[in-house]
Amino acid sequence: MKTLYALLKRRMMMPVIFIVLFAMAFMFDDLKTIYRGYLNILQSPSVLISDYLHIGGLGATLFNVATIMLINIIMLSVLKLKMTGPIFAGLLTIAGFSFFGKNIFNTIPIYIGIYLHARVQRLEFKSFIIVVLFSTGISPIVSFLIFGTGWPFYIGVPAGIAIGVLTGFVLPALGAHTIRFHKGYNLYNIGFAMGILSMLYAAMLQTLFRFDLFRFDSTISEAFHTELLILTILLSTIFIISGFINDRGVLKKYPKLMATTGRLVSDYIRDHGRDIAMVNVGVMGFISVLAILLLDIKISGAVMGGILTVMGFGAFGKHPRNSVPVMVGAALWYLYVFHVRGEASVGLAIAVLFVTAIAPIAGRFGILFGIFAGFVHIVLTPFTYAFQGGFDLYNNGFAAGFVAAILVPIFEFIRKDNGKEMSS
Amino acid sequence: MSKQEIRIVTKIIRELSLFLMLHGYNTFQLNTYLEGKTRVFMLDVENMASDTLETMREKIGRKRELEVETYGWELLGDTDTKNELEIIGLLIDSLDITTKDHRTRLVLKRESKYLEK
Repeated sequence: MKTLYALLKRRMMMPVIFIVLFAMAFMFDDLKTIYRGYLNILQSPSVLISDYLHIGGLGATLFNVATIMLINIIMLSVLKLKMTGPIFAGLLTIAGFSFFGKNIFNTIPIYIGIYLHARVQRLEFKSFIIVVLFSTGISPIVSFLIFGTGWPFYIGVPAGIAIGVLTGFVLPALGAHTIRFHKGYNLYNIGFAMGILSMLYAAMLQTLFRFDLFRFDSTISEAFHTELLILTILLSTIFIISGFINDRGVLKKYPKLMATTGRLVSDYIRDHGRDIAMVNVGVMGFISVLAILLLDIKISGAVMGGILTVMGFGAFGKHPRNSVPVMVGAALWYLYVFHVRGEASVGLAIAVLFVTAIAPIAGRFGILFGIFAGFVHIVLTPFTYAFQGGFDLYNNGFAAGFVAAILVPIFEFIRKDNGKEMSS
Repeated sequence: MSKQEIRIVTKIIRELSLFLMLHGYNTFQLNTYLEGKTRVFMLDVENMASDTLETMREKIGRKRELEVETYGWELLGDTDTKNELEIIGLLIDSLDITTKDHRTRLVLKRESKYLEK
């Protein structure tokens, strides 16, 4: 039993999550329904926001999530990589976005592109694992070119695969460069890099081929709110309990973790240990649950993606002290829109969760600056979505890059700190 | 040495200098040279406070992680807060610290893994 727990702890409970998701898929739907729904998922253009819960149903969506997780877990094992903060965050982000845009079909070409990049640089493929795990946020470009253009398959399939491979090939270089733009204050840095590429693709497809990128069905399904809420609570509880099993006094380590700004590259597993990192992941899950319950947000595929991403980054830069202020800032605008219009879009709802991309701003400059940054972020996200055409699933990462680049220099100027006054 | 390696090495120099100056050390010596494929940084500081030294030992003394290096190396030399010294530890293979009288010597070593061009 101790050996099993040690193994699971080393893998940050990932095998447990996979088994839970896989088992749940077959609890809710039969094999035939899952098969039919899964085919629908694979053939979907998958541009933002394609809710797989609506397209394929709950069973097929969970099957999609579980299979993509399994492939990535196997890849990590083959590459003999240990579970670090960024890898854990990458895996849960992949799981989250497999609820609305990622599938096995549209992610593989991007991996191949990164593999080719590594070969050209003559570095090991595993050196680029962080980019690999976050790269598939741009996978809708592959699905769109194959299933969304109306082109015959003999044109669409090669075009989709070629653009996917090309995207993967340039992404490591672009990601290393964009990190300087926001100085590491946007935790979804690859999302920002992909947003820039998406903007280019969107412009070319709209200008050269006259495609209407926003014509696709973006109906979301809130039918599985209760099931997914229970799943979130279950996963969060598993993480918190796991953190306590080995170390009853694990909470003593929490103040030190929460004293960090969270700025890239903050690996909480490496810096503070697996136990407290797992507790933090669970706490971030409960904070997400609290946020959606307080704001009366129903869980769709996209919202579930947001929850899992927030949890994943609980090992890679997010904690309650830096995340809650930016969430409050975003929630204020969400509530205002809801009050004025009587409803708020799912884009705004998920921004309340994904706004935590800029959590390091609150971690560095404090609560009030964090609230303001959160407010600016949620106002900006609809505009960045229009820019990038929906090919970048990490639209909030794209927006967060601009928010950080605009606000951080201003906040630094206002604070006028000279280094000695700086906190950790 | 590849251009990429040169860029990383110069950023390490900047990061070390910035960290020391943020902590009020205005006089220090930083020498660097090549030992085969290994870049050596030799840093001499007088009257170094024990907590500063401990921070450096804790953060630089970590195991090198190439997968983080390819992602976050551009942030090197962009230290924002007094206690940030996270990324440099991921780029260094070994750290040796010796103290004699009031003089502390830190020797950092980094093996180049980038393609020669």
